[in-house]
Amino acid sequence: MILECLKAYNYRNLAATELSWNEKFNVVYGSNAQGKTNLLEAIYLFGHLKSFRNARGSDLIRHNAETARLNATIKRHKVRHQLEITLAKAGRTPKINGKTVQKLTQFLGHLRTVIFTPEELGIIKGYPAGRRALLDRAILQTDPTYLERVQEFDRVLRQRNQLLKQQSSFKELIPWNSAFVRTGGIIRYERINYLERFRSQLRLVYKEITGGTETADVHYSVAPGALQCLTEQLATDLDKNYQREQKLGLTLAGPHRDDLEFLVDDRLLRTFGSQGQQRSFLLAFKAAQVVDLEKQLKESPILLLDDLASELDASRQEGFFSFLLQRQSQVFLTAAQLPKLAISVRQTASYFKVDQGMIFLTTPE
Amino acid sequence: MLNSIPSFTRLVSELAKFPGIGNKTATRLAFFLLRQPEAETEALASALLDLKRRTRFCSVCFHITEEDPCQICTDKGRDDTLICVVEDPQALLAIERSRSFKGRYHVLHGALSPLDGIGPADLKVAPLIRRLEQGTIQEMLIATNFTVEGDATALYLAKLTQHLGIKLTRLAYGIPMGSELEYVDEATVNRAVEGRREL
Ligand SMILES: Nc1ncnc2c1ncn2[C@@H]1O[C@H](COP(=O)(O)OP(=O)(O)OP(=O)(O)O)[C@@H](O)[C@H]1O
Ligand SMILES: [Mg+2]
Ligand SMILES: [Zn+2]
Repeated sequence: MILECLKAYNYRNLAATELSWNEKFNVVYGSNAQGKTNLLEAIYLFGHLKSFRNARGSDLIRHNAETARLNATIKRHKVRHQLEITLAKAGRTPKINGKTVQKLTQFLGHLRTVIFTPEELGIIKGYPAGRRALLDRAILQTDPTYLERVQEFDRVLRQRNQLLKQQSSFKELIPWNSAFVRTGGIIRYERINYLERFRSQLRLVYKEITGGTETADVHYSVAPGALQCLTEQLATDLDKNYQREQKLGLTLAGPHRDDLEFLVDDRLLRTFGSQGQQRSFLLAFKAAQVVDLEKQLKESPILLLDDLASELDASRQEGFFSFLLQRQSQVFLTAAQLPKLAISVRQTASYFKVDQGMIFLTTPE
Repeated sequence: MLNSIPSFTRLVSELAKFPGIGNKTATRLAFFLLRQPEAETEALASALLDLKRRTRFCSVCFHITEEDPCQICTDKGRDDTLICVVEDPQALLAIERSRSFKGRYHVLHGALSPLDGIGPADLKVAPLIRRLEQGTIQEMLIATNFTVEGDATALYLAKLTQHLGIKLTRLAYGIPMGSELEYVDEATVNRAVEGRREL
């Protein structure tokens, strides 16, 4: 999939210019606070309908404006499509070829995006919720309907917690328990399956970036099993925790409490990881996601690389670029200074300068 | 300037309470009414009042009706051993339009939703149980909506009536008629496959 054109109206500080992008490699450079990450965020939005920053929908609209709009022309399997996202205080409205979609899942999947940004680095040492969200976003890019399963589970969980808070009878809890066990079992099953597939890719890519000196791994806090086993396990936990849950008014075990552990050389990255290891890991995680998407969909996602140069040393950057050269992905790379690129990349790349939200094509040197 | 016409403003405010109608549409409707002959306006006003004064809920099934019990409840041609439970009168009408069901109905007037403060006591559950306990009904088709809340309500009713030995059925998740599988969203296909039946 290729992003051919992008127009942004009232999106953060971006000026309303129509831009045509290079099908392969786009270098976007400019000083700090000019709008580079904003641009990547706008592209990312087409794949996720949500920012990777902890931003509310209204944060994305230019200060003092009511609505914002993003228009993209994309090409998939040789067919052009027009995608549009309107952002208003009340919510977002996605459209495909001028038509409003009935379900968000019909929109997701047209432009799949994978982002690497220093703004996500906090996830590695942060709360489990951040790591779960990272995993859920990765699964969502392979299967947009996963969103519906997650939303269904969230709704059941909130309903159940509400009943627990009201000290309701066990009889009233029963239907919510079985809904919780059914929907929660599915989420765990899908997360575990994804990771089982993903792990080998992650190891390979991490080796490639680090030059083979370290090994990376991921562990989900629940052991793999058949869907039925996972469901039964959740049911057992509900029985076991009933008294305490009743007292606390919340659900103590389930996919909403699980963690995803990141390891390098069998040590927890959360406690022992150096800055460089954290960056390499996150980058490898994203790269493995790209490879997995290519395998699953026979189509490359769009790769958004935010400020890579300031995050990796020269040899790791080189390792990553050699990985990139084997990909079919369209790439958007931002940097404060013009990056030094391998000759093969430099020849095919387009360069864009960002200045106070205005973006224009340049020819460096 | 419109605020200087209090009767106009008042009508707009009332119309804007309708579902799906904002201030703009309400103003357009008010202008339309303004231009109508007085007889038309009177007809509308009396239709509105009639709706309120003549209709009530059926004391048996809780559908909207002018006579109590309602026409469906008194229809001799219907199967007394079969009952269909729905969330609201709209759902009942949808099933009636399909002409696929010839039993009796029971309208719950909602679905369980703790977040909205709706529990079993807020629904017409107790009268349903009383109907089932009379012993005539042999099958209960639970046709609550396919939402988290509708599903939970179905499960709740199933548990609650287990001891009565009534056959319980749930509407099947289906593929919309006339649609090609290719264009049906995956979640629907998923559920249709899960709910497949023997030929
Ligand atoms: N809703 C908004 N309306 C207007 N301007 C905004 C809005 N949100 C963010 N900005 C502006 O966008 C700029 C930040 O842009 P961005 O994060 O893309 O910078 P950057 O080019 O990536 O910088 P850095 O190199 O420091 O990462 C800031 O000047 C900020 O004030
Ligand atoms: Mg930035
Ligand atoms: Zn009736």
